[in-house]
Formats: sequence, C-alpha cells, structure tokens
Amino acid sequence: MPKCTINGKEIEVKDGTTIMEAMYQHGMRIAHYCYHPSLSIAGVCRLCMVEIEGNPRVQIACNTTVTEGMKINNTSQKVKDAVKWTLDFHLINHPLDCPVCDQAGECGLQDQYMEFGKYDPEMAEKKQKKHKVVDLGPTVVLDSERCILCSRCVRFTKEVSKTNELGIFNRGDRSEIGTYDGQPLNNKYSLNTVDICPVGALTSKDFRFRQRVWYLKEGETLCNGCSTGCSIKTYFNKEGFFRVKPVQNDKVNGYWMCDEGRDLYKFVNREARMLKGQKRSASGWEMMVPGAVAKDAAQVVKTAGQGLALVLTGQYTSEEYDAIINSFKNELKTTKIFHWNNNKETADQFDGLLIRGDKNPNTKGLIQAMQKHGVQTEWNQLIEGLKNGSITTVVVAGPENLMGYADYMEKVKLLSTAKNLIWMQSTKHQILDSLMGQVWLVPMKSYVEKEGTFVNYAGLEQKFKKVTTVVSEALTLTEAASVLSGQQIMVKPDTNVLIEANRSQDKVMMEHKKKNEFIFRRGPL
Amino acid sequence: METKLLTEHYEKDEFRGLDGYKKNGGYEVLKKALKMQPQQIIDEVKASGLRGRGGAGFSTGTKWGFLPKNGEPRYLLCNADEGEPGTCKDRVMMERAPHQLIEGMIISGFAIGSHKGYIYIRGEYFYPRRVLEQAVKEAYAAGLLGKNILGSGFDFDLDVYSGAGAYICGEETALISSLEGKKGQPKLKPPFPAVQGYLRKPTIVNNVETLAAVVPIIRDGAAAYKKFGTEKSPGTKLFSLSGNVVKPGNYEIPLGTPLKDLIFKIGGGMKPGRKLKACIPGGSSAPVLTAEEVEKANLDYESIASLGSMLGSGAVIVIDDSQCMVDLLGVLMHFYSHESCGQCTPCREGTGWLNKIVHSILTGRGRLQDIDLLIKVADNMKGRTICALSDAAALPVLSFVSKFRDEFEYYVREGRSKVKGTSYAEMHH
Repeated sequence: MPKCTINGKEIEVKDGTTIMEAMYQHGMRIAHYCYHPSLSIAGVCRLCMVEIEGNPRVQIACNTTVTEGMKINNTSQKVKDAVKWTLDFHLINHPLDCPVCDQAGECGLQDQYMEFGKYDPEMAEKKQKKHKVVDLGPTVVLDSERCILCSRCVRFTKEVSKTNELGIFNRGDRSEIGTYDGQPLNNKYSLNTVDICPVGALTSKDFRFRQRVWYLKEGETLCNGCSTGCSIKTYFNKEGFFRVKPVQNDKVNGYWMCDEGRDLYKFVNREARMLKGQKRSASGWEMMVPGAVAKDAAQVVKTAGQGLALVLTGQYTSEEYDAIINSFKNELKTTKIFHWNNNKETADQFDGLLIRGDKNPNTKGLIQAMQKHGVQTEWNQLIEGLKNGSITTVVVAGPENLMGYADYMEKVKLLSTAKNLIWMQSTKHQILDSLMGQVWLVPMKSYVEKEGTFVNYAGLEQKFKKVTTVVSEALTLTEAASVLSGQQIMVKPDTNVLIEANRSQDKVMMEHKKKNEFIFRRGPL
Repeated sequence: METKLLTEHYEKDEFRGLDGYKKNGGYEVLKKALKMQPQQIIDEVKASGLRGRGGAGFSTGTKWGFLPKNGEPRYLLCNADEGEPGTCKDRVMMERAPHQLIEGMIISGFAIGSHKGYIYIRGEYFYPRRVLEQAVKEAYAAGLLGKNILGSGFDFDLDVYSGAGAYICGEETALISSLEGKKGQPKLKPPFPAVQGYLRKPTIVNNVETLAAVVPIIRDGAAAYKKFGTEKSPGTKLFSLSGNVVKPGNYEIPLGTPLKDLIFKIGGGMKPGRKLKACIPGGSSAPVLTAEEVEKANLDYESIASLGSMLGSGAVIVIDDSQCMVDLLGVLMHFYSHESCGQCTPCREGTGWLNKIVHSILTGRGRLQDIDLLIKVADNMKGRTICALSDAAALPVLSFVSKFRDEFEYYVREGRSKVKGTSYAEMHH
C-alpha cells in the first residue's frame, strides 16, 4: 500500500495503482483522451501528463505506477503548458466544425479545451485532408478529420467485442481509423465505439442529426431488453426519446450495452404507443380514456368468477406483479394466473458479454411474485380452460417490447378465443385492432414512465426511477389492478409505487407538466 | 587514424564465405567463448565498456544485466534496420562479414542464455539480406548454428527477418512489434523489452555493430579493447562519412578521434573550392554542429554531448558552404513527418506541422513569427512521446534554427535562399 502525494494531498493506494487511477479515486481532475478504465493502456494522447519530483521529464499518469513516497502534481505551470500544447497538437488538424458536429455539447475536445486549453491557436498552415462520412458499417459513420486517433474504438473491438474490425491505417498525420476490406464494423456492440469516442469522429447512424444534445434531458433507468438488466441513461425531450447510452455499473454491464438495447427507446415514444383505451362490443370499437376503459372492463372482471384468468409477461416491475397478483388472488378470488413465457427454449442463451436469450427484464421477478403468492399454474391449463370454456374472461398484461415475442400473433389469437379479453399493453399493434368479440384495450405505462424493481437473470434486484411521462393517461399495472378489482391495493409502506392521487385525470396531467417543467419553461427551442 | 579491429579483413572477398572467414581466424572466438561461463562473458563485455552502437550509446553489459535471472525463454534480436539518414555502416558489416555478426550473436546468445535469435534487417537491404541468409545457411550446415553447437551442448537458432522499410522499426520496441507481425509501432515502456519484449518474453535488442564488437572483446579481452577510445567511450566505431568531402565512406576509428581529423585527414577534406559550414555528427536526428564546434569536437559520446549534440549512429554528414540550411531542414522535416508512426499526438501532428511551416518558408509563404513558432513547436514535442522519434525531429529544428537563424530570416524576408540566391522552385526544378 504505497503512500504518495498528489497535488499536495497525501493519499494511500493499492499496490500497482497507476497515477491516473489514484487521481480518479480521489476525485482529482486530469486531462486525458485515450485512457479508458476498462480498456488497455495505449498512452498515445499524451494529455495526462504529470510532474513527478525528481524526474525532469513530465510523465503520463495512465502508465506510471505509484511508488512509495512519490510526489506528483499536475497543477504546476510546466504541466499546464505541456497539456496546453498537447491539446493544441490535437486541434491543429481538427476541422473545428462544431456547429455542424453531432458531438458538440458533449465533446471531449470542447470540454478539455475549456478546462485546460483556452489559448490562441498559432496554426496557420493548411489542415490535413482526410476521409469524411466513411460508412464503417450498419450502425456507425466515421469522420476521419475529427478523429484524434486515441485508439479507444480500435481497442474496444479488439478487447471487448473481440471482433477486431477496426484498425488504424497509414502513418503519421495521414493516420486514419478504418475497417479491413469486406469486414464492416458489424457486431452487436458496435455503438459502444460511438460512446467512447471522445470527439465527433464516430457517430451513430440512428442518432446523428436528429437532436442537438443540449436540447435533451437525461434520465437513468434500466434496460428492459433482456434479463441482463444493464444500467442505462435515456435522452429525451418533449418530442420523445432519442437515444439510450449505457451507465457504468460494475455489477452488471461495466461500461457497455448492446446495440439491440439502444433501440428500445423507440417502443416508448408516442408513435409506437397505444394512446387511447378502446372497447369493442357488438356495436364496434369505442374510444375511451384508459381509466374509463379499465373501469368498464372491471364490470366483466367482477362478474367472471372462476372464469377469470390473468396472463402476465416478464416485462413489468416486481411491485406491479405483487399488486396485481395480490388483487386477483385476494379480491377477485382466482388463482388462474399464468406466466406467458415467450422464449422458453432460448432463455438460457448468453453471448458471453451481455446479451441473454431471455428477452424480458423481470422474468425472475414474476416467478418470485408468483411463488410468494403460492400461484402454481401451467400454460396448458390455460389452453385447456379456453378450449372447454371454463375460462371466459382473460386479463393480459402484454409485453411492451415486442422484439423478443416471436409468438405474439399466435398468443393473441389463442387468447382471443375467450369471451371477454382485456388486453393491457403500452405499445400498439395491428392485430389488436383486428380482434373480434368483446375486447378491452388498456394503454399501459412503459418502463421509463414508472419506478420499480427488476430482478435480473442472476437474481440481482435493481431499483429504478421514473424518467418522464410520455402517455400521461396510461396506467401502470398496479393502477390497472386497483381499478379492475375496484379495491385499494395493499402496498408496503416502503414501496411508493401506487400513486393514489395520480388516478384522477387532472392530477396525472399536472404531474406530466411538472415533470416536464424544463421544457415548458424553456419555451420553443 | 583508422584502426581496423572489426573491419580488418573487409577488403577480402573471401571473408564473406564461411571458409574465408575461418581462414582469417573466424569462429575461433566462439570456441573460446563456449568454454567460458556465460556470466564471465557478460562480465567481460561489461568490463570492456562497450556501448550500444545503434545510437543511444547505452552500456551493452548493463543492458544484458537487466534480464531476469530465471530460466525463462528469452530472445536475442539483432537490429539491422539501419534507417537513420546518413548511416550505412551496418550494411557494409553485413555484406562484408556476415559471419562476424553471426559469431557475435551466438556468443551473445550464449552469454544471456538465449536459444533463439533474429536478425531484423531493413526492407530495402535486399543484397545484404541475401548475403546474410546464405551465411546463416552455411553456418547451419557447418554445425555452428542449431543444436549442440561445436559439441558444447548449447543450442542457438538464427533467422533473418526482413522489415518493410519503416524508419520507426529501428526503434527497439517498434522492431519487436513488427517482428511479432503487428504494425511497426513503439510500445509503451514500462515494461522494458529486457523484462517483456518479443512475444512478451525477455528480449535483448542490439545493433549489428554492437554484436559484432563482442567478437574482438572476447578474443582479446576487455583490457585490450579498452586501449582504444576514451575512458568512458572505449573501443573503435564505424563512422559513415558523407557529404561534400573528397573521400566519403565508412571508416573504423577509435572513439575520441577529433571530428576534424575524420573530415580533413581520413575523409580527405572538403571538395575543392568548398568550405565546411556545418556537420551533423550522428545521423540526421542529431543536432547540427557549426564549423567552429567541429574544431572542438571529438568523436566520443561525452565530447559530442557536451556540444549539445549526439554521437548517435555515427553518421557524419558534412555540410559545405553551398548548402542552404532552410532547404536541408525541409528535407529532414519531410522525412520525419513521413516516418512518424502516428501513435502519439505530439509527434503525429507536430512532425507534420513542422514540415508544413518549413515548406511554407521555402515556398515564400513564411512569416517571421514562423521561425519562433518552429522553436516552440519543436520544444513542445521533445520528451513527450513514447519513443524518441519526436525528439529526433525536434532536435534538428532547434539546432538549425538557433544556429543558422540568419538564413531562415533571410529566406522569409526575401523569399529565396541566402546561400543559393534562388527560390525553392528554382532549387528543385
């Protein structure tokens, strides 16, 4: 455990800790580009220079191990000048096209220039010309002129995705990132290269030119794409969600997430959502607000008796499961509660990094809730019941992310054989509109609009908070359960899932406005 | 004057072949060495004070001492990627006496406990490579390489590997990267090659001349070797004399010989009608010396260093009074910006920037502040990168501009060379 002094502060670190790590651990600021905590050390940006007492040359903090009694500083004039010049070297051939660059606002060059640079550039020569708009693969576009050759993306494909698509070609100031012939950047984690790119060289085809980042607000939540449960950050404004990025979570995803998970924001935007409740009777479809359609459905649910069945998918929070199973079992007195397991065969698949075969974020949570309430059913019992007519009314908590639901159409057809079908779901789907018979469609809140707990594949309980509201009138499963049973739900005092007051239409709207205050206050952008 | 310790038999054509080499005393030293203890050889080399002949001038014995003392497999690499502009000594050594290098490598390999050696030869050296490959084949056939060399029980394999012509691959860690089949780029230090080098195993990289010099050291002993040269720079060294002198070429002279003796006595002096203006004493990376400094300089590491330059690879480039320093710097900067591997930012961007500034001046677009800018940029490239290429590009700039500032200022003001009186376009048609 060597002790050292950094910027006058004496600290003790573990053996083998580099100066960079030591400074990070103690919250000290240091300029750097190529260093990334979960990639190998490249030592090429030369920005993280520090002065070590007794050494005439400045050293890089990322590759220098702390030794006993080391006296380090990165605030001396010598270091400041060195950093300033290295920053200038980064910028002399950089196009400085911030006004049209997608990275502007979250760019490492901008940030570090403001913090460590602020000089008058002396470069008067012509800048180096390189390739623009290089199509690296299906997801990523490269602008070589903006690239500062930190090699993070190259190291990512080498060390993390292990696909080795990227390399640095040519030498000197003609160096460019590129792919090998016939081998585009096409792997399931390719967009991580965009995240770790400190400048606007790598941009996501999905996000580029769609929003300036300073018009986006961010909110942390969990990914609901599979049972891994990566921590993510969503970016949104009043027009909806625009992108998803991973958040460091050493227990689950480290610094990464898969490309599939980045598409999930699309399911929560209004275009993909069921906005109005619908009721179908002999006279055809009737539009209603969600609360009203649920209330209407409650009539049939209450009178269904032993003909009532509940079908749950693994895409809701543990608190919601607890609430709905509780009310169905105790209030509506039915134990016909079924788990719609959409990927039984592939559930255990794992690609070795993050992606798992179970495309539900909370299968474990659902199983736990069913066990807790002593519910033990087989899917076959449901099929049987529908066939012999002992099940007349089916309440379905459908999936919000339909990607993993290859059996969706088939299941809808099966369940629609019931006399009364109450289908609760956040995303819209054509097949639901073409249903015949007595149908109630109840719009639900998506995972970014509520708080709760997901239990991932390993049994890790992760709580997440509400990000914002997209469809303010939609219900959570807990609210729906309450309405369907016509009862208050017993909730533990520490879980503040049910917001009783929110059930009133006005108050939901109020909440919507309050949460999005920043948009209203800012006015037209 | 010339002291032919290594180059004694270089005039003889037969010396290239195994038989001719043996006739002139070849492989006798190997027999002697194989009977010694490896540590004895290392001690002898250490005692001889032999310093790396590739450019850095680091003590060879000390370098060998950095190897871990366990039985871990280790490699001996011969750096024959002679890329430093002005240097051509290794080529002669490989062409004229390939077996001398092989013998030196077997002895060195035996000393450091390595059983595998590679000669990493510069891509452009087609002919020396053929000669070496032929010699390696002969040595294998004669039982001098391979298993159980000369019945001693010591195994040593040797391969010749051709580079692809990158200057940077002469840097030892870049050489290792290249040999590993990767892009020739220097590696971060630590770990140093002696701890983790080729294939992550302990590795020693020595210059051709260094390895060849082991032969006379073991033959005559450290004391005999130390008779030549100076206290701190013992022995003889090959110098590649080039430029506008009467007799350019490779000369083996004891270290410490006055530089003016090499130019004016051995080299026959300047071409008729020309005067000495400046001299680069150690390959193009070394800071230039003015004519006055040449008078004071001795060709040993310390004397040249005291004048602010480097002995480097021993490439003495003589510049006469008809040469334009701005133009020369343009040539050098083009070279370094072309050869920078592009890894570290200060070097990647800095070498290109320097090149552009110098060429701006050369093509008449220069501003007076560009001269100071050259110094500022070079100053901030120095010592800020993984390898020394950045320094190698910065040092000539600093010395050229500070010592011949008048030529630069004249060029900026007049748009033409002070010495030649012509513009860049006229100089280079």
